[in-house]
Amino acid sequence: MTDAILTVTTLCKSFGAVQATNDLSFTVRRNDIHALIGPNGAGKTTVVNQLSGDMLPDSGTILFNGVNISRKKAYQRARLGIGRSFQITHIFENLTVAENMSLAICAHSGHNFRFLQHFRRSPPVLRELAKALARVDLLPRAELPASHLSHGEKRQLEVGMAMVGNPELLILDEPMAGMGPGGTAELSKLIRRLKGTLTILLIEHDMDVVFSLADRVTVLVYGENMATGTPDEIRRNTKVRAAYLGEES
Amino acid sequence: MSLLSRKTIVIGGGALLLFFLPLVAKLTGQPYLLSLGSRILIYALAAVSLDLLLGYSGMISLGHAAFVGIGAYVVGISQFHSYEATPFLSAPFLLSGSENGLFVLPLAILVAAFAALIIGALCLRTTGMHFIMITLAFAQMLYYFFISLEKYGGDDGLSLYARNSFPGIDLSDDRHFYYLCLTALGLFLLFTCRLVTSRFGLIIRGAGNNDRRLKGLGIRSTSYKLVTFVIAGGGAGLAGALLANQTEYVSPGLMHWTLSGELMVMVLLGGLGTLFGPVLGAAAFLLLEEGLAMYTEHWMVYMGPVLILAVVFAKRGLFGLLAGGNSRDD
Repeated sequence: MTDAILTVTTLCKSFGAVQATNDLSFTVRRNDIHALIGPNGAGKTTVVNQLSGDMLPDSGTILFNGVNISRKKAYQRARLGIGRSFQITHIFENLTVAENMSLAICAHSGHNFRFLQHFRRSPPVLRELAKALARVDLLPRAELPASHLSHGEKRQLEVGMAMVGNPELLILDEPMAGMGPGGTAELSKLIRRLKGTLTILLIEHDMDVVFSLADRVTVLVYGENMATGTPDEIRRNTKVRAAYLGEES
Repeated sequence: MSLLSRKTIVIGGGALLLFFLPLVAKLTGQPYLLSLGSRILIYALAAVSLDLLLGYSGMISLGHAAFVGIGAYVVGISQFHSYEATPFLSAPFLLSGSENGLFVLPLAILVAAFAALIIGALCLRTTGMHFIMITLAFAQMLYYFFISLEKYGGDDGLSLYARNSFPGIDLSDDRHFYYLCLTALGLFLLFTCRLVTSRFGLIIRGAGNNDRRLKGLGIRSTSYKLVTFVIAGGGAGLAGALLANQTEYVSPGLMHWTLSGELMVMVLLGGLGTLFGPVLGAAAFLLLEEGLAMYTEHWMVYMGPVLILAVVFAKRGLFGLLAGGNSRDD
């Protein structure tokens, strides 16, 4: 039995009459790529928001490394080692690529009440910036404003920023959304490269990507855990095929 | 960045022009240029401090005049007690009036910064539209407070007997005063240039750009924003203290929201999110005001369209126009 890094138990969240997360339980094992899939409106992003702390659950618990984090704020969870990328790319558009990455580095280097030294000359940035940019292949783009990057590169930057500080759990919310086939292949390669060094919770639409990358898959339908298993088990699961995968598979 | 980029030329040219302005005023026999120049420098100082809020950390404050007014009143009240030979405070510690600029100007900065600490701590519990309204509300509260403060002139304000004294220089000489203002602006610009490219500056620029993402990275921006608010308040306080010295008059009008609005216009006109832009903006605004006021008292009618054109067509305002839209501070 591999140990669990994240254990979600009977999580509930409703918006008015809509039960977005309904008694949801699942476990993510350490160093797995765990995919969370489900049809549109299944409540995937609501789950992610509750895991990252952008939303608080109505009830239920979230154990991260054995600690109950379900009432903790987003920045506290980030410090505990949960990195997140957003479905809609969330970077600092007005800042350069290097500044974006430096900001992520500074966030993990204690307080930032240093007023006079240029941030590029501060020890943590000197130490990590080049490495962090190289990890997501953005070293040549460092001095460009982030708004000038292509969509795929923005994604890479975002993943790179979430990777700074070596989070134990990286949540990627639809990283392939809105990307062409080239970008998808590029990012898949990047994710595969990270495999084994940390745990990734991948929320994804693209089934090819999910089945090629994931170790385990949880299928979410109407906010409930319909099935959890290896990609093969999920493919064979008749309930899932009927509810979600349909005739395609 | 090459040594002779457009940005270097604009900043260097501007600095040279400001440095030699007293000489020009003397040679052309237009001493009036000097007081206009001082006024531009003082407003520029206030506008640069406001841009730290508007352009860098995304705090839209419509109450910045409050800190200008506080700085000015520190000078006014301090001199009032100095002439009356009465203490301003006798308990818990004795604080008597003073006309010594070396004491009064830092005091103005400190008092304004302290006011910014309290007002900022309350305002920063809100964001967006509420933040705009609550900063405005605090400034107007102070405005009415000073109107009702009969001891210090109330509605009529306080007249200064003379400018502050300064060892080695004579502020009643307009040239000396001009160079004091130029030094103050220069030092503040130097400090803010370092500030916005520091780690602290990186955080506040991030907060101005995408506060939610900053939280996702594990940074709560509130305390960084509060410190920025305090620094900006201190800068505005210094501007107010200088303004009081220049006009030798202090009135509640300095806290009125119209001054906050004018400062905001200067920032927008000169270039939001740049440090030298607000200096250009202050110069352009005051020169336009002077120029247009010669022809009509309704000069605002012409100022309006100029501002709209600047905001719509010039990326980063006048500074962007002159130095290139992508010029940065570092």
